Amino acid sequence: MPSEPLRQLLLDPTVVTVALGALLLGATAGALGTFAVLRRQSLLGDTMSHAALPGVVLGYLLAQGRSLPAMLAGALVTGLAAALLAQLLARRRGVKHEAALGTWLGTGFALGVVLLSLVQHQPGAGSAGLEQFLFGQAAATLRSDLLLIGAIALLSLGLVALLFHRFELVTFDPRFARAGGVAVRVYETLLTLLLAVAIVVGLQLVGVVLMSALVVAPAVAARQLAGSLGAMLWLSAAVGAFSALVGALASAAVPGLSTGPTVVLVATACAALALAFGRRRGVRLEGA
Amino acid sequence: MPTELNLPVPPARASRRHLGALLVALALLPLGAPAARAQAAPLVVATVGMIGDVAAELAGSCATVTTLVGSGSDPHLYRASAGDVRALSRADLILYGGLHLEAGLAQVLDGFEGRIPVVAVSEAAVPAERRIRASAAGGVYDPHVWMDVSQWRDAVPVIEAALVEHAVDAGCAPEVAARAAEYRALLDDLHAWALAAIASVPAEQRVLVTAHDAFEYFGRAYGIEVEGIQGISTETEAAVADIRRVAELVVVRCVPALFVESTINPRTVNAVLEAVEQRGGRAVIGDELFADALGASGTPEGTYVGMLLHNVSAIVVALGGELPPLPATLAAWETRW
Amino acid sequence: MSRPAPASAPPAAETVGVSLRYGRALALDGVSLRVPRGAMGAVVGPNGAGKSTLLKVLLGLDDGHEGDAYLLGRPALQARHLVGYVPQRSTVDWDFPATALDVVTMGLYRQLGPFRRAGRAARERARAALAEVGMEAFEDRQIGQLSGGQQQRVFLARALVQEAELYLLDEPFAGVDAASEAALVEVLRRLNAQGATVVAVHHDLTTLASYFDWIALLNVRLFAQGPLAATLTPEALQAAYGGRLPLLATLAPEEVRRAV
Repeated sequence: MPSEPLRQLLLDPTVVTVALGALLLGATAGALGTFAVLRRQSLLGDTMSHAALPGVVLGYLLAQGRSLPAMLAGALVTGLAAALLAQLLARRRGVKHEAALGTWLGTGFALGVVLLSLVQHQPGAGSAGLEQFLFGQAAATLRSDLLLIGAIALLSLGLVALLFHRFELVTFDPRFARAGGVAVRVYETLLTLLLAVAIVVGLQLVGVVLMSALVVAPAVAARQLAGSLGAMLWLSAAVGAFSALVGALASAAVPGLSTGPTVVLVATACAALALAFGRRRGVRLEGA
Repeated sequence: MPTELNLPVPPARASRRHLGALLVALALLPLGAPAARAQAAPLVVATVGMIGDVAAELAGSCATVTTLVGSGSDPHLYRASAGDVRALSRADLILYGGLHLEAGLAQVLDGFEGRIPVVAVSEAAVPAERRIRASAAGGVYDPHVWMDVSQWRDAVPVIEAALVEHAVDAGCAPEVAARAAEYRALLDDLHAWALAAIASVPAEQRVLVTAHDAFEYFGRAYGIEVEGIQGISTETEAAVADIRRVAELVVVRCVPALFVESTINPRTVNAVLEAVEQRGGRAVIGDELFADALGASGTPEGTYVGMLLHNVSAIVVALGGELPPLPATLAAWETRW
Repeated sequence: MSRPAPASAPPAAETVGVSLRYGRALALDGVSLRVPRGAMGAVVGPNGAGKSTLLKVLLGLDDGHEGDAYLLGRPALQARHLVGYVPQRSTVDWDFPATALDVVTMGLYRQLGPFRRAGRAARERARAALAEVGMEAFEDRQIGQLSGGQQQRVFLARALVQEAELYLLDEPFAGVDAASEAALVEVLRRLNAQGATVVAVHHDLTTLASYFDWIALLNVRLFAQGPLAATLTPEALQAAYGGRLPLLATLAPEEVRRAV
């Protein structure tokens, strides 16, 4: 039960900061997740976020202390490396895409946990807040974080809008596009990169374990209700933003309620509702 | 100029025999070692530095004391590695805090019950009626008992008894007893000094805002209000409600400083600071405090006494108090560094 | 059926000694295809003969091959934009959120460039192409709700907006209902009559002679190619299919008679 009137809550600057950060992140993750889901690579988001953990620890080790840019850069590198290695595994060795992604998800995360346990012997490891990357710490959103998230959101959503037609073509029929001389690999890599960046930025807020849900659930919800890619993107972003907003507000009103998990619960609830009542019944469950 | 070198070349068969003898000698070497190992000092393994340092002070050269959770590492979250378990299994005595401080190690420690003497120092030193409850309901207690020096003083006889009974030889017992008496006197002086120091802070400003609720015992012992952003344990995430609550307090009470801790990500404290500023308040971030772990080993803060000295100094100075001069024993202790 | 191409014009599609391996297995072995301009051609052969692979080579979709490929007289990779490609339906997830019109509009990617969105003019052209394949009534239908034949027609419409000189189709009639097949054939014939070359990977030998005037018999190696009547002999069929379809050996003489 909220212990104070909602209006007062909404005007509180801390709540506004957290809510805004969550909202921007939710919108970005939802929109970019659309492409991941349509490309049958929902697992890609999961793999990249889990495989980001060793990168966070490595960034901390290389910077020899708590350095957020180093940790995020490390997360980006290992997350992308896992995606790339999965691609190689699928292409060169003929392993099914899901299996390849699953392999690197587990390997990356296990490596991350091992590194975490090794690092806890180092002085200053606790203050680096490495453990927080597991489930996020959305409540401690700073204004500097907002700037970063805002910039990322603007950049990625801007790129999606600018290259919409190409992204649509490459996602729907990459073979046809390639046959026509379109640089399919470039666009696919760009989409993966954008997704990786969104995931890395979101890690501090929602954490490694839950980030993939924020990427996939809004897209799944949107898919049930959208008849075009544009509509799906808007809806997905909206569901992501809504879930994030509700999660942030709920955790502000109810003491002891963690922000990250609440956001994810709202997002999955939206997906469940959409699946139950959306016009597109009989959703394809395989390969999701 | 000689055109060929005249080196003595042993016949092949002889050199093989020499090699064989050498190998046998090498193989027999370790057999001499166990005799030497029996003479090695007994091993005491402590989980956290606050216990380990005290044990080392008391044991002196009579035992080797190692600590599992290093400086800057969070004992609430610490999980034992295979190496840690190996170290524990070789110990003659295991000392840990208890009261759920080492949440991640509970299972491992249980595994050693019955095989190796395991002593829960905090539980033994502080009787139930003197413990602070973690929450209104339930029997879970706040484990940060070492923050009250007068309480941690009671841990000294516990550790002393454990050392004498399980670790050190009978010959060393008097030495340990003497060191324990000396250390207890040192802690008494430290406690008195801390009381005077905190008392010098103006009453309205006697509010200690920290990253997590580790200072309840400190607050109760030295007469200062404490407010932690996160709860007793860092296992759960800080919530927006917590940040707002603390920021509100800081603004209303005009608290001059907030404190970060050595084992915790300063993000939450920074978030509170931002919230304070957004409400039109002003505060600074004071010196880093040591709550769950000692400072770096080799520095004064890497010892229990040094940790408390540092904490009290940092708090008093930042909140506008004045540090009283150190008593003789503490001054003498300081010269060690 | 089609105008004879001038003797000097380069072939519409040509490969010179193309070989390709998947791992250890040979998918294509020294294939030298030469499809003349204006042909209504079919590439036939048993399953796994490399027919789709040959198309991939022509379109630059493969991972590497020996030999050269040419389209409309130019190296294949440089002439791809002049070709209308209709891939197999199975290469796409039809659960994608898009209407029939959306898919056809995607075919205008080259004209629009990477940054522009499809405006009214573009959508009108897409509409026209849909009408050509008889799908104008379905322009707002979700593609997942279309039948196989309707999906195939949408794919053809998508290729039509590119106004190509050469159309490459991969199994365009597979799993298609009779009405759609008829519609597709009619469009292809119209294109052919207007001078475009059509090359389709075709699976159904019984309709071969009614639809096409030029064939290539492929089974890893190219066994025969040329005008249908002359090329579709029982011996050629036997050689290409390697005795795996004895039924067709008896059918073939009938085909030959019908073709003449």
